[in-house]
This record gives sequence, structure tokens and C-alpha cells, in this order.
Amino acid sequence: MKPAYQRYALTRTAQAAVVVLLAYVLTFLVTSVLPGDAVTNALRDPQNGLSEQEIQRIVAFYGLDKPVLVQLGLSLGRFLTGELGFSLQSDLPVSRLIGDALPSTLTLAGSALVIAVVFAVAIAYGAHHLPGKWSGAVRSIPSFFLSVPNFVIGLVLIELFAFRLHSFTTTDPNSPAATLFAAVTLAIPVSAPLAEVLIAGLDHESRQDYAQVARSRGITEAGLFVKHLVKPSALPSVAMVALIVGELLGGSVITETIFGRDGIGTVVQKAVTGEDQPVLQAVVSLSAVVFVAVNLIADLVSPLVDPRVKLRETVDA
Amino acid sequence: MTTAFTLERLRGVGGATRRGTLRLPPTVVLSFLVVLTVVLWSLLPGLFTSHSPVTGETATKLAAPSPGHWFGTDYLGRDLYARVVFGTASSVTSALVAVLIGLVAGSAIGLASGFRGGWVDATLGRLVDVLLAVPGFLLAVVIVSSLGFQTINAAIATGVSAVAVFARLMRAEVLRIRGAVYVEASYLEGGSRLHVLLRHILPNAYRSVLVLAVLQFGTSILVIASLAFLGYGDPPPASDWGLLVASGKTYVTAPWLVYAPALVIVITVLSVNRISRWLRKAK
Repeated sequence: MKPAYQRYALTRTAQAAVVVLLAYVLTFLVTSVLPGDAVTNALRDPQNGLSEQEIQRIVAFYGLDKPVLVQLGLSLGRFLTGELGFSLQSDLPVSRLIGDALPSTLTLAGSALVIAVVFAVAIAYGAHHLPGKWSGAVRSIPSFFLSVPNFVIGLVLIELFAFRLHSFTTTDPNSPAATLFAAVTLAIPVSAPLAEVLIAGLDHESRQDYAQVARSRGITEAGLFVKHLVKPSALPSVAMVALIVGELLGGSVITETIFGRDGIGTVVQKAVTGEDQPVLQAVVSLSAVVFVAVNLIADLVSPLVDPRVKLRETVDA
Repeated sequence: MTTAFTLERLRGVGGATRRGTLRLPPTVVLSFLVVLTVVLWSLLPGLFTSHSPVTGETATKLAAPSPGHWFGTDYLGRDLYARVVFGTASSVTSALVAVLIGLVAGSAIGLASGFRGGWVDATLGRLVDVLLAVPGFLLAVVIVSSLGFQTINAAIATGVSAVAVFARLMRAEVLRIRGAVYVEASYLEGGSRLHVLLRHILPNAYRSVLVLAVLQFGTSILVIASLAFLGYGDPPPASDWGLLVASGKTYVTAPWLVYAPALVIVITVLSVNRISRWLRKAK
């Protein structure tokens, strides 16, 4: 078992590294085929107010006067040493732009994750323990959540709670109340797939023998849920963690725009409008790093936690 | 042959053995009606409204919904219902384009992966991993910013970000079918690889892929609406649904400018998702 696990861990880690590098190359290629000489356009944009000297420095730094493949090599070399370059709009280091924006987005995404889990457990519990008709209604909630665009949820919450009920103000987007509603906006689409997996797990687990035995001992349905069913039903959702992280990151673009928060999403939006290639490149490749790392950890830990998990070195769908 | 048979089952008239499972629930009928309406809106918008989507009367600007203006009017006095109806073609066609890109490219990758195996599978597998590693919406945003802010580019971006999902499903389906006894029998009878692909693999995989395609159609409507909302689609006077919501949100006193197009998006996607769920169950 031990050498087998080591081999498995090594292969998996190597695969993860390859995926991250390829993701970097892919984003570089996508962002470098910008129509026209957009990079120079961004640099020369008088709104950004860069001096001739600064422009020369940036051009030399990125090798912008050299062929694309040379630029890719330079860029990849910098990425491997953790250097993310400079923004074309402000001449600030990209790492600082991202570092400044990260805490706000982490607060938002973290709260959203907690809320999404609470929603998902509540929906799954309701789907399973409410009488027939209600259960059916609760079971259709995830599908409803998946049909409402993020921006509509945000606008409705703002209209209801900020403009009518005055629970928070849009002028202070970082207040706890405003953060809470932004997090709910982000949480709703995330809670839906989580709830679906939980419901399927509960349906399966509650039919198992051990559940029958527990019932025959006179345990209440709520007790059965808390003591026996929740844990095994939640196990499959561990595989969704990486997916959820991506969902939270992507959703933050819209949510932060609507609620006027400064964060990674706003950084992306500004970079898109300003054709700020290094910033986009950095955000996309860092999110790939996060996704791959979370997946890798899940893959490495699950055989240690659950002995039934087989060590597979190839990725199966 | 096989296609006709499956289509018959889809309509619920075939096979006495499975009749019970194929009755149309009322919500599914309703969903089909919604989708039919949306299709008609995009094909023949002029039949549904006599108002113009681009010119309005400023005298009646920001009017609340009424029998004359079902969804009210915007800040230029344009009829919002007419704008929604005329914006349908672009919103729906672009979602279709996105699904087609994902379906064709993804299925091709999945087929090659599952059918050839070996190094082809390993190489394409890494490509799919890479596409999956970048959050879908972020990928779409980056691609559309690279191609330029147009609705068709938003559709392409959405399609590319859906390739991985289709590729993974197709590969899994091919692997499942390839191991079946009837495929082995077909090889033994001297069937070529092409024969197996066309007569066994594709007809058997097509059902699951269709379910995903319908589901993905709903998702694409949402993603494209979100891109349009951020201003990454065609600029006004185009009236994509997402863009209508975005331009409506400035007018706090006229909430229908947000709610009406938002409701159209939600009802359409809800119906598409309902149809997809029904197809999955009827399988």
C-alpha cells in the first residue's frame, strides 16, 4: 500500500503541475491574440498617464518588441519564479493589485460558502423529511436556483433590502450587512448543485440497513439525520469542492460589480475594459492554480481517509 | 432507424412496455409552450408587437406596465415588451451557437479520447483538464475580451468554456458502450471501427449528450445574459435580455425595467431545465 500510495501521489502531483503550466500557456495565447496592437494601445492610452520612460521600461520588461513565442518563454520563466509582472494601466505590480483585492473577495467567497452549505443542508433536510407535497416543492428549489442569473438575485436583494427595507446601504458596500447580502447572492447558485448531491446521498443512505436498524431502535428522524445520515451523504460533495471554488471566483465578477465592492472580480472587470493583459493572465492562472491545488489535495487525502477509494492514476470522468 | 425509434419514444407514442413513464407532466407541457413562444419571438418578432423596439415617444417615458405597454416603457419611452421580443433572436441564437460549439468540439474530443485511447486520450485528457481548471465564467470573460465586445463573440466564449463538459461526458459514454457485448459481437461479425462508431457508439451516446445539450442551452442563456449585463455583448440599441436588465437598473423608480426582462430570462431557463430533467428521466 505504501509504495503504491507514493507512486500515486507523485503521478498526481506531476499531472497537476502540467495542467497549471498548460493553463498558463493557454491564457497567454488567448490574451495575446488581442486584435490590433492592444498592449501598446493600453500603454499609450493617455488616461493611464504613463510617461515615455515607464512605457519603455514595460516594453522592455515584457519583450513586447520581440515575437510572441519569445514573449511566451519570458512570461513562463517569470511565472515559474512567482513574478507576475506589472499592470499596463497603472504600472503597479500585478501581485500588489491582486494582494490588495484578495482579502475582500476571500471574505465574500468564504461567507458565501458557509451560507451555501447552510442552504444546501436545509434544502436536503426539507426534501427528505417534509410530507410528500412539500417535499416535492423543496426538491425543485435547486433547479429554480440554477435558473436565476446571479445579477438578478443581486438586483432583487438590493431593491428589497436596501431600497425598501433599508437593511443596508449600497454606499457602504463593505459593511457587514451589505457583505451578507452580497454573499447570499453568490451563495444561491452554489448551493443548488450541493443540495442536489446531498439529496441524492440522503435518498441512498436512508434506505441502507443501518438506517433501518437505527429506526427500529426508536431514533427520531431528526436524530437519524444528524447522527447517521449527514456524514455519509455529504462525502460525495467533497469531490465538488474544487468546482465550487471556481464557481465562487467566477461569480465574484458579477456580484462585486453589482454591490460595488472592490475585489478580484472588480480587478478582472477593470483589466477587461483596459485590455490589461498581464492582470488577466495572472488572475486566470492563479485561479487555475487554486483549482488544481484543491483538487490535488482532495485526491491525495481521500485514499487516506476512506480506504474504499481506489488509487487511480488516470483521470476518469 | 434508431433515430426514428428514439424520436417516437420521445413523443411518447412508441413502445407499449414503457408507456407509463412517458406521459407528459403538465409542467413539461407548459415548458414546451414557453420554449415555443420564445422560438416564435425570435423568428417572427413583428407578429407579437406593433411597437418599435428602437423608437419611442418621450412623452410616455418610464410608464408603468399597462394594457398599452405590457412591460412598461423605458427612459426614451420605448415599449419594453417590444424590446424584449426583438432582443430574443440575439439572446437565443447566441445560446444556440454556444451549445453547438461546445457540442461539436466537445463530442469530437470525447469521441477521439474514448475511441482511440492511448496517447490520444492522454493528450486530449490534459487539454480537457486545463479547460476545467479555469472557472467557466472567468474563461468566457477572458475570451470575449480578447475577441472583442460583440454578442457573437460572447457566444463563442460561452461555447469554448462548455467544451470540456461535453468532452468528458462523450468520453465516458464511449467507454461505457465500447465495453458492451453487442459491440464485441459487431467486431466479431467483421464490423469495421467506422461501422461500430456510426451504428453503435453514436446512436447510444446521443441520448445522454442530448440531455446535456438541452441543459447547457439553459446555462448558455444565463452566461450570455451575464456577459451582456457586464456590457460585453452588442451595445445599445441592441436589446439582449441581459443588457436590458443592466440598463434598467439605473432607474430605481421604475423597477419593471429590471423585473420584466429578468422574469423572461428566469422563465425561459426554468422551462429549458425542466425539459432537460424530463428527458433525463424518460431515458
